[in-house]
Amino acid sequence: MISLKNEMWLESRIMENKIAQPLRGIIGVLFSSIIFYILWWIFMDPRGILKWYTPQYGYMYIRWILIVVIWQAYVFNFWPFSLKWRENTHPVITGAVLMFVNFAVVGAVIWGFFYHFLGIYSIPYLSVDKLVGKGMTEFFAREYSSLAILMFAAIASWLSPIVTVCFANHPWQNLKQPERGITIFCVTALLSILAFLCLMHPHYHVLFWPWQEYAAAYPWWANFAHTLSGNFNVGWVMCGTVSIWMLEVTFDRYPYILIKNKIRRGVVGFIGVLLFAILLFVTFNFIQDLAWGPAIDGAKRILAPDWRYQHSGELAIMMLIPAMILNFYFDNGPKKYSAPVNIALRMIIIIVSTMVFHWLYYKFSPSILGTQAAYSHPQQFPMAPGILFICVMLFHNWFMDLWPGKKRTGNRDVMLDDDGEEIL
Amino acid sequence: MGVSRRGFLKGLALGGTTGYLAMAGASSTVLKDVFIPPAAVGDFDIGTCKSVKCTVVSETSWFNNKRVVQDMKDAGGLLVNQYIIPWSNTGVKEGYNGNNAGGYSALIDLELLDGSKKKILLDCGWNTEWMDECFKREGVDKMLKNKEIDVLVLSHEHFDHFFGVESVLKNCPDIPIIVPKGFYKEGFDLLKGASFPVAHLKNDYPHTGPLEVRESGKVHPLFPGCATISFDSAIICRVLGEQGLVFNVKDKGLVAITGCCHMGIISFLEEIKHRVKGGDKIYGIQGGLHISPFEDWDPQYDDLIQALPSYGVEVLGCNHCTGYLTAEKMILAGLPVVQGTARFRSKKKLFLGNGDQIVFG
Repeated sequence: MISLKNEMWLESRIMENKIAQPLRGIIGVLFSSIIFYILWWIFMDPRGILKWYTPQYGYMYIRWILIVVIWQAYVFNFWPFSLKWRENTHPVITGAVLMFVNFAVVGAVIWGFFYHFLGIYSIPYLSVDKLVGKGMTEFFAREYSSLAILMFAAIASWLSPIVTVCFANHPWQNLKQPERGITIFCVTALLSILAFLCLMHPHYHVLFWPWQEYAAAYPWWANFAHTLSGNFNVGWVMCGTVSIWMLEVTFDRYPYILIKNKIRRGVVGFIGVLLFAILLFVTFNFIQDLAWGPAIDGAKRILAPDWRYQHSGELAIMMLIPAMILNFYFDNGPKKYSAPVNIALRMIIIIVSTMVFHWLYYKFSPSILGTQAAYSHPQQFPMAPGILFICVMLFHNWFMDLWPGKKRTGNRDVMLDDDGEEIL
Repeated sequence: MGVSRRGFLKGLALGGTTGYLAMAGASSTVLKDVFIPPAAVGDFDIGTCKSVKCTVVSETSWFNNKRVVQDMKDAGGLLVNQYIIPWSNTGVKEGYNGNNAGGYSALIDLELLDGSKKKILLDCGWNTEWMDECFKREGVDKMLKNKEIDVLVLSHEHFDHFFGVESVLKNCPDIPIIVPKGFYKEGFDLLKGASFPVAHLKNDYPHTGPLEVRESGKVHPLFPGCATISFDSAIICRVLGEQGLVFNVKDKGLVAITGCCHMGIISFLEEIKHRVKGGDKIYGIQGGLHISPFEDWDPQYDDLIQALPSYGVEVLGCNHCTGYLTAEKMILAGLPVVQGTARFRSKKKLFLGNGDQIVFG
């Protein structure tokens, strides 16, 4: 047996509305937007201070911020911080401290684990220094290694939440922290590494010349995807990430939550998430075919097959943003009908909002984000600002309890049985 | 909330069937055939010319690859405005008098069916000292002074294709200029005589001749047998839009001549195929193909090399931003790459270099 707080502190929160809707929602979105823009300007904007959005280098950090925030809140349940500290400290302070920890972990993972451990002792393309040592231009060495490192995070941000969202942390639900966190971290890290080796490592077979035929498999997707680029996998993995998060924020884990046995629920949920991801991927590819005509083998930019796949992932992220805004800031309405009807209505709101967001993004991103006016540009990814905004919303909700629009007044003190069900 | 096994299975069957039909529908050829119109067949007649000769005035855009990439990195990456990047113009060992800037420019001699001739200068390079020397070597400076060159076609606004415009205007300030849609205000200001000290860029000879901006999405005739096509391509260093030239050479077929071809050579060939009469027969290509300009790579470029043979191009001239690595891979793929002579600071013979010529027809 374990308490809900110790199993998933976020779910035990009792939240009180401090401001009425729609003002609360608007203030929440504005708050996140301001934090996002400050971070974008300091770290990413080509007109800003550090100018890391080159683009892969900055994008890498953003991807890792996302996976680390998932580790902090979902996998480790805020360990090593005590839940008492989380409960008794002002949300602004908890937000600042946990964000600082997030950034520190991201830096340690990238600079310590990838650049100076894995990149040196296993796969050279993970280390800028190693690639530069081979005679590569520093800029492209950094971009190549950044792409590889960010793909680890992209795959992990798809696979890590599955344990919590689909399996409800089973079979490790009764472990305390940090045992449970370390276990889930190790299992999902192992799966992510395996997935990376199959989905992204072959990309590096053809990235270098001569081709690395003894070190990596030839891209197995080349014949049916009409590209050698790993962007094929980037696209559907991103749809997978969005799929798992939409299951969490829009579907409220329905219909898999109806399955009582958590392992069975997890397996069925995982398959369901995969199928929903493929559905998103195929549909977004088709929408692009309708808009711009079919992709052409070997073409660049808007007609390139690999860019189309990547853009499907970008479109999925653009769909997740309104889904999260609806959940975090507008109470995930509507809620008064049956679950299927509520979800259907939410999906209509999300799809319409996605179309509006898509138009707004391409209309205003050059002036606001310092990007270029174009759908397809080899040096920019809407996923980067999109995911940074998602990270900020997660900070706001998970680290700051949606202050100032809401206030956490306490936590439900309930116990869970061995099957993860609340004991009434 | 609980659910019976039967209820769950019914839901699973319903959801699975709906999902399958949605996926199968979205990806089916039936649906694509219904909603996606068939590709247009080119019907725009640009006329016919007798021959086209292209002289590579300069294809060496910069002398030290790492330096130019470092300049962009130091300025904040590939999205930074090219007019505010402090490009290295001194102390570069391999540079021209220490300046890393070179430039791209090509002279196109067009012979019409009636025997008359037209000259097109495609792009005007970057470093004016270097371009002055290149123009002198190929006699372009005298042609400009004698008003023998009919038009300056600027493929796009990039530093290495446009910043050397002073070298043209000092010899012929009233030359007609054609630019693609997308030029920024700074570009038009440079033509008028503005300077950009951060980028070590100036033009002391304001343009006084006609200036035409060509819209994308259609074929613009230039001379009999010659036209331009513009694209809305977004390009690094905050540049937008590019145009390429297409010629119809009698008894040979169509020839595509590019500056940098950021839109992608296959996109350009497809546009020709779908817009220009006779577009199903691409005889030749010449110019920068913008594949690995910094000798960087992306598997997408292999897609291009694998797809290009299906277009049946008989003569493949290329240089500049095509990249030596690409040329090497193209030759291995059996593509008819025309080799150069590696003179006047072009580094390898893998493709056409400075001072080399290619003739179509």
